[in-house]
Amino acid sequence: MARTPEEFRTKQQIDVRVLHEVVGIDPKAGRVRVVDLSANREWWEPYDHLLIATGAVPLRPKVPGADAAGIYGVHTLESGIRLRKILDESRPARAVIVGGGYIGLEMAEAFLLRGMQVSLVEKAPQVMGTLDEDMAVHIAQALTDRGVTLHLNEGLEAFEVRDGRVRAVITSQRSLETDIVLLGMGVVPNTDLAREAHIPLGERGAVRVDRRMATQVEGVWAAGDCAESFHRLTGRPIHVALGTVANRHGRVAGMNMAGGEASFSGVLGTAVTRICSLEIARTGLQTRELEALGRSFVSRTIESHTRAGYFPGSGRIHVKLLADSDTGAVLGAQIVGEEGAAKRIDVMAAAITAGLTAQEVSELDLGYAPPFSPLWDPLIIAARLLAKDAP
Amino acid sequence: MGTSKKVVIIGGDAAGMSAASVAKRKDPNLQVIVFERGPHTSYSA
Ligand SMILES: Cc1cc2nc3c(=O)[nH]c(=O)nc-3n(C[C@H](O)[C@H](O)[C@H](O)COP(=O)(O)OP(=O)(O)OC[C@H]3O[C@@H](n4cnc5c(N)ncnc54)[C@H](O)[C@@H]3O)c2cc1C
Repeated sequence: MARTPEEFRTKQQIDVRVLHEVVGIDPKAGRVRVVDLSANREWWEPYDHLLIATGAVPLRPKVPGADAAGIYGVHTLESGIRLRKILDESRPARAVIVGGGYIGLEMAEAFLLRGMQVSLVEKAPQVMGTLDEDMAVHIAQALTDRGVTLHLNEGLEAFEVRDGRVRAVITSQRSLETDIVLLGMGVVPNTDLAREAHIPLGERGAVRVDRRMATQVEGVWAAGDCAESFHRLTGRPIHVALGTVANRHGRVAGMNMAGGEASFSGVLGTAVTRICSLEIARTGLQTRELEALGRSFVSRTIESHTRAGYFPGSGRIHVKLLADSDTGAVLGAQIVGEEGAAKRIDVMAAAITAGLTAQEVSELDLGYAPPFSPLWDPLIIAARLLAKDAP
Repeated sequence: MGTSKKVVIIGGDAAGMSAASVAKRKDPNLQVIVFERGPHTSYSA
């Protein structure tokens, strides 16, 4: 939602100064160094409370040729608009995407819609690393069906550059000729200012915060992609760069800075995305995380339909549920399927938050009518099977 | 106004602007300044 600085100023009396960069924090004196980028003016601005909400920056590969023309990221609205302009004007025929996360997949769709030839390079053995491999294969299949050439298990090694422009992507296996490159390698917290001011950092270089979003330095708070979260199930610090989390962080920090009492309730890593008609969703802990934690767990994967099988627009849906093998508590859920599949994840996020067991999920009173689900919702079917293996 | 506290926020997007809005709503006397190096506020999410 885009609101203008004027709207913030007049409707909410919030003094928003765009084109103003903070270049230093002095926590001892309680002030920040501000540069007015349009006027070449610089001064110290004092504060009682400071919120660091500087976001994250896209990961740039440290390989030869990485600063050549024709290599793009889509981290901001401006960068997205710039890329679209280039696609409109120079009509590149081929694109190579580096990274098989949600940004890479969403951009693959955009390129396909323009009739471009699309290759995707991913160093892991699967796309969408936040899902288990047996679920990610359905995504890989859908990408291949729609014409994307997938190169899994292939690391980026270099860009071949001619006359300052990228010509090919060199992987550990091959050279892929291309007109443009799209980087979707993830983001890192933008915490240089915090580090320079000796504000302690934590998980993946994000600013360390407690549940009130307070940093370890008096009067300084942090929120959003630059700040840590903690996992609701493990209690451990985790860095999640999502708009949902950034808004929740911001609300907690805002309340506390104004003298209120608010506490962040943690994350489950709930996320949804879509590539063409295929919807992808996940919440809770995945197999890799559970193994790393040494937890004993059981899992079940089912295939069903998004709507009553005979209903127009009914499509395939795959559901995977994971539960604690001692208590039966559901710990994770993953969904890949056609239209209507993804937002089912919210039921599972609620179930995990409430500590429901697989048996309890299988007994939930969920809605049914042919346009929305089969008589037994795919979640119920999966939970019922899972309950047989878990108490 | 002389005694009202001042909140400074670095970054005017999802986290910064939601914090600004909530803080101002909770305490209307609070002075809230947001510094955003880009040309816009609050886009993503
Ligand atoms: C293409 C794309 C699609 C996405 N889709 C989704 C989605 O579907 N769902 C979802 O939940 N999330 C999505 N996200 C993630 C979401 O956009 C981010 O998690 C969210 O924007 C984080 O908000 P933030 O306020 O923490 O940081 P940012 O949005 O990064 O904002 C930080 C702001 O701080 C400013 N800033 C930084 N340093 C300074 C400084 N020194 N002085 C002044 N200003 C500074 C920056 O200019 C920026 O405006 C997507 C992201 C991208 C790039």
